[in-house]
Amino acid sequence: MNFTQCNLGGGVRLHLCETDKFKSVVCKIFIQQDLDPKYAAATALIPLLLRRGSQRFPTTQQIARELEYLYAAKFGSDVLKIGERQVLEFYFEMVDPALLPNGVQNIERGLRTFWDIASNPAGSEDAFLEKYFVQEKRNLEQEVASLLNDKRAYALARSLAIMCADEPFGIYKYGDLASIRELRNEEVHAHYRRLWRHYPLDIFLVGANLDVLANLCSQFARERQELKKLKPPQTRKVKEHRLAEEKLDLQQTVLILGYRTGCTYLDPDYYALLVGNGILGCFPHSKLFMNVRERASLAYYVNSNLEGTKGILTISAGIDGSKRQETRKIIEKQLHDLQAGQISEEELEQTKRGLISGIAALNDNPASLINRNLIGIVNGELRTVDQVIRAIQAVGAQDAAEAMNKVVLDTIYILSPEGGDSGGPN
Amino acid sequence: MVAQIKTPTGEVVYQEQLPNGLTVFVFVKPDFLKKYAVLSTNYGSIDFKFRIPEEGIVEVPLGVAHFLEHKLFEEETGNIFTRFARWGASVNAFTSPTQTNYLFSTIDHWQESLADLISFVGHPFFTEENVEKEKGIIEQELRMYEDHPEHRLHSNLLSNLYHENPIRLDIGGTVESIFEITVEDLLKCHRTFYQPGNMALAMVGDLDPEQLLSIVRQNYSQWDLNNVSEIERFYPAEPREVVNAWVEERLSIARPHYLLGFKHEPKWRGEELLKQQITMSLVWRLIVGRSSQIFTDLYQADLVNDSFGASFNSGPQFAYSVIGSETDNPERLDQELRRIIQRLKEESVSSLDIERLKRQIYGGHLASYDSFEYAANRYISHYFDQTPYHRFIPILQSIEVKDVEQAIRDLLDFQYATVSVLRPVEKNG
Repeated sequence: MNFTQCNLGGGVRLHLCETDKFKSVVCKIFIQQDLDPKYAAATALIPLLLRRGSQRFPTTQQIARELEYLYAAKFGSDVLKIGERQVLEFYFEMVDPALLPNGVQNIERGLRTFWDIASNPAGSEDAFLEKYFVQEKRNLEQEVASLLNDKRAYALARSLAIMCADEPFGIYKYGDLASIRELRNEEVHAHYRRLWRHYPLDIFLVGANLDVLANLCSQFARERQELKKLKPPQTRKVKEHRLAEEKLDLQQTVLILGYRTGCTYLDPDYYALLVGNGILGCFPHSKLFMNVRERASLAYYVNSNLEGTKGILTISAGIDGSKRQETRKIIEKQLHDLQAGQISEEELEQTKRGLISGIAALNDNPASLINRNLIGIVNGELRTVDQVIRAIQAVGAQDAAEAMNKVVLDTIYILSPEGGDSGGPN
Repeated sequence: MVAQIKTPTGEVVYQEQLPNGLTVFVFVKPDFLKKYAVLSTNYGSIDFKFRIPEEGIVEVPLGVAHFLEHKLFEEETGNIFTRFARWGASVNAFTSPTQTNYLFSTIDHWQESLADLISFVGHPFFTEENVEKEKGIIEQELRMYEDHPEHRLHSNLLSNLYHENPIRLDIGGTVESIFEITVEDLLKCHRTFYQPGNMALAMVGDLDPEQLLSIVRQNYSQWDLNNVSEIERFYPAEPREVVNAWVEERLSIARPHYLLGFKHEPKWRGEELLKQQITMSLVWRLIVGRSSQIFTDLYQADLVNDSFGASFNSGPQFAYSVIGSETDNPERLDQELRRIIQRLKEESVSSLDIERLKRQIYGGHLASYDSFEYAANRYISHYFDQTPYHRFIPILQSIEVKDVEQAIRDLLDFQYATVSVLRPVEKNG
């Protein structure tokens, strides 16, 4: 299930995966830019504005009716953060035309609709429709404020903001409240036009009989001008780890340990780090789950997550606040054991198998098949599923331990209940 | 007897009931690498009062079904997660009010994983020590949910919509009730509800149905079986009226959440229930669907945001509907929804709208067959509810405007409604 790539010029690439395996056809477009405090909020507002209306379908209602007419076709748009890039994503999905009456006409109509919504928003030449702009700006503010509703995601975002306070990576993917409030219609519109014209753009198509759609896509993506050069992520050396605690009216304490990995996607030992992180905390057989949850009963969830482009590893756990020292001690012991090479044959094999299964299974869903390429796009080096599987298979216990030895604790973040027991000194 | 059911996507689902009573579904998906299986028992959090032949009627503490789901993951030989990890498979489980489900997905070692699934679900290993140890973990799980606004909102709604029906209680029980759970409680429930006649197995992937059914027959016979008998469960009588019409709580959230619930009489069975589910899906799309004028007006008035949604939830023991959104003004949204629903009852529904929405449900139904988990779980829950899922498309096509109008008039009755609201905690200073 590999993609064939075709360079359309001007920084536009078309990636095709021709298959009749799925019941649907999926198209995704990614436009990437440097994560920048000046533009993060503006980019984040674009998806909200686009779903309000386009030139041909000027209201959400008209868009929705068109999508319903196309047998539950789906349009989506979102903003992702990968390393120090902000990626604007457009998504379109429709039932395989072979299963529908007048399928071929419908799928063409669907793709034209998609392109219209993504690239011709309602409004004038240089501004979005003002009433949409005003309302969606407020909605974005609320969206950012609602991060608070999900305590685990909130704690994670706060810990990264503190850890990378002077690096682009510290910026939340939707920007911050202050910059959202300052957004102006014409500026956001100009930024949106710049993204379409100057920034690297990748189009993915998965499904059967893609010729017609591929042709349409290449016609659509023509208006391009000089391509912007993007920056690699910044790196930092840790002198001493810092500790931050914030309080809310809560039942449970969330503990986050943030580490710098000193190794990223483009480094030769990246897959050793990926395996090391898996042994540490990505699976129910991992050290963290087995020791923090199963042996010590301290948490329901505890895991580690690797951000491979920036090189940051975060461990998070939901615990009883009075047990924070005990939990931290057990977590750190797992990492130290791993760094000291205490990795059983079983742990290594199970982790590699789990990672490989997970990657192979991405072939079974058109959207995941596309999404797995994002890290490659951002890092400028696409890898096939087979390449990745071979790289994981080659990792030995010693390699994983060595890669994990570069991991350095940067920030401990605790989100705890107000008035609760702080559990003594940290 | 193997029955073959053709799906609307042109695929085939094989269904067989084994001599021991277990019903098995095999859904063949050519060319897919992943294989998925789910083994479910028709037993969930609402089933805590039942008859045991030698003991009579017993009542166990709240949260036993969910506790069992956790505890079956431990065996004499160690942790089940590790066993599946050996096959590169990932295993999980979840409990609902009416079902407990054990599932795995894998690329390799499919047969070994399947044999392990059947074996661990049928094999309890509970000791005083391992049961005590689990309590700390489940306590943290319950605490996590206490900080979840959606969970609090829904939970407050149900406990004020229902007086007696156990649907009003949290699936996991309470921190107090789980500390009362004993090894004996767990064993009683396992013996009673984990009988093949009360269970179903669904498998999806590039599979050979004949070979697979023979593996299942072979492995399943090793299960130490009780006499398969009809399980007698007891549910309290539920008054028609609600407990409270309005309930509020404060939580650390960004803005208020509003949820309106209607309590329906769970009177439908079989095909009628499936028809009601699809009809209510049309009703709610008329209101919350992005294509509706109602959504457009409420959104433009800033009374709802993108979280605006609704659903109809039903089983043999309960039926209720919910509709809600994050909003700055729960009172005004409430007034508007009451006015809108009253107006819908008086006006006629547009047949054009219904045709378009039916088309949307049709497309969504076709696309859902690509999701292994969704397809398998649907087959099982419709089997337990005794609703003929294979008739989905003909039933959808048979629904007329008058069915939708009648559902609006009969089911959206404010006499049997509760509103649940969450507000942000007030900041100090």
